[in-house]
Amino acid sequence: MDDRMVRVVGILIDSFFPLLKAGLMFTVPLTIISFSLGMIVAFTAAIIRVLNIRILDKIVKFYVWIIRGTPLLVQLFIIFYGLPSIGITLNALVTAIIGFTLSVGAYGSETIRAAILSVPKGQWEAAHALGFSKLQTLQYVILPQAIKVAIPPMANSFISLVKDTSLAAAVTFSELFNVAQQITARTYEPLWLYMEAAFIYLMFCSVLSVLQSRLEIRFRKSGD
Amino acid sequence: MIRIENVYKSFDNLEVLKNINLTVEKGEVVCIIGPSGSGKSTLLRSLNHLERITSGRVYINDELVDERNGNGDAHKFSPKRVSEICSELGMVFQRFNLFPHMTVMENVMLASRKVKKLSKDEAAENALELLEKVGLTDKKDQYPAKLSGGQQQRVAIARALAMKPQIMLFDEPTSALDPELVYEVLDVMKSLADEGMTMLVVTHEMGFAKEVADRVVFMDNGEIVEINSPENIFSNPSHERTREFLSRIL
Repeated sequence: MDDRMVRVVGILIDSFFPLLKAGLMFTVPLTIISFSLGMIVAFTAAIIRVLNIRILDKIVKFYVWIIRGTPLLVQLFIIFYGLPSIGITLNALVTAIIGFTLSVGAYGSETIRAAILSVPKGQWEAAHALGFSKLQTLQYVILPQAIKVAIPPMANSFISLVKDTSLAAAVTFSELFNVAQQITARTYEPLWLYMEAAFIYLMFCSVLSVLQSRLEIRFRKSGD
Repeated sequence: MIRIENVYKSFDNLEVLKNINLTVEKGEVVCIIGPSGSGKSTLLRSLNHLERITSGRVYINDELVDERNGNGDAHKFSPKRVSEICSELGMVFQRFNLFPHMTVMENVMLASRKVKKLSKDEAAENALELLEKVGLTDKKDQYPAKLSGGQQQRVAIARALAMKPQIMLFDEPTSALDPELVYEVLDVMKSLADEGMTMLVVTHEMGFAKEVADRVVFMDNGEIVEINSPENIFSNPSHERTREFLSRIL
């Protein structure tokens, strides 16, 4: 082994735990928090759309239009670098959570809306005929069935989000990728360090893929 | 018990109900027959707000359940009132519409728990009684997908009865069933009729209409053509269109 290889291996070993730590301490929590909040937004928005609640329905459509039609990175820049000029200064973590929550909420609302619409109309009619209100119908009859349909696409967007959190590096949030950039700046080994960062993302996502298939099997078992 | 006065209903420009007048007395079984697209199902669905009428009036127990005058706005009902109206009417659908994510027992219990707010024990007791009545006690922990069509429809009847409705509406309850399963659903319906349940039944089962109905309504093209006793309608219909329809299907 020549000196170069020895040096690279040394750097990779030294940086593995800082990267993994950044992943576990920042990337993973950021993903989980943003996804959970995003789901709340997504369900609320989807229900507003499905029940066709006046005015709110228009607001939701506008929100989804803006978020889906503009790049996430640009949104993060507007929040982090743009808002301070009108007196709103948010730190990197808050910026990232807001940005990712809005993104998950917008895409998720469309997924959940489609899942709700996939439940046969007869289910709404049967619940109506039994005296259920629309909200009760959603709660007891429609959503439990819609969630089953929504799980594969939602799991997909969760896995996507793990990787998208790397965008937070651009607003100085020291998650996995940001730490990789910092180490690269010191060591001048971009190829190996970014490969190492990619490998850690791959590990996280592989674990999630396994969890996803287990979740799907479990949901398939209950009921039909 | 049910009073339908001058009811019209159109979808866009298509008139599906024209000048419908019909009264159903307590304990009566009324069967509605007629070709597909004649408005039978729409009429049934107008009673519990699954469809809103375009004009006319509908009463249940002398209480208004829907009203509209020509181009005027539909009468506004609070969600609570709509729920009350629906609780008085049990409805059985052609496609059963059981909740697939719940067991048979949960299907039957759900509305009495969440709409009538019965305790779990009361609702369960009530549900078991009804499942016994439709002969499906042994299936109580199964999911609907595991049952035959006839069994699913019997569960659907039990589910509707769980709200203790005063009137049962049947919308072609046996049309989606294999022929050999039709009788088990009709048997349950017959026993309900024998107990004095008020029933309005849209059906293609002429045998059932002949045997169980007190009166038969023949509808065609959105209109009630003839209301008659089953004996008269099947052996001596007073209207040419009724005669034609029956000669085609019998």
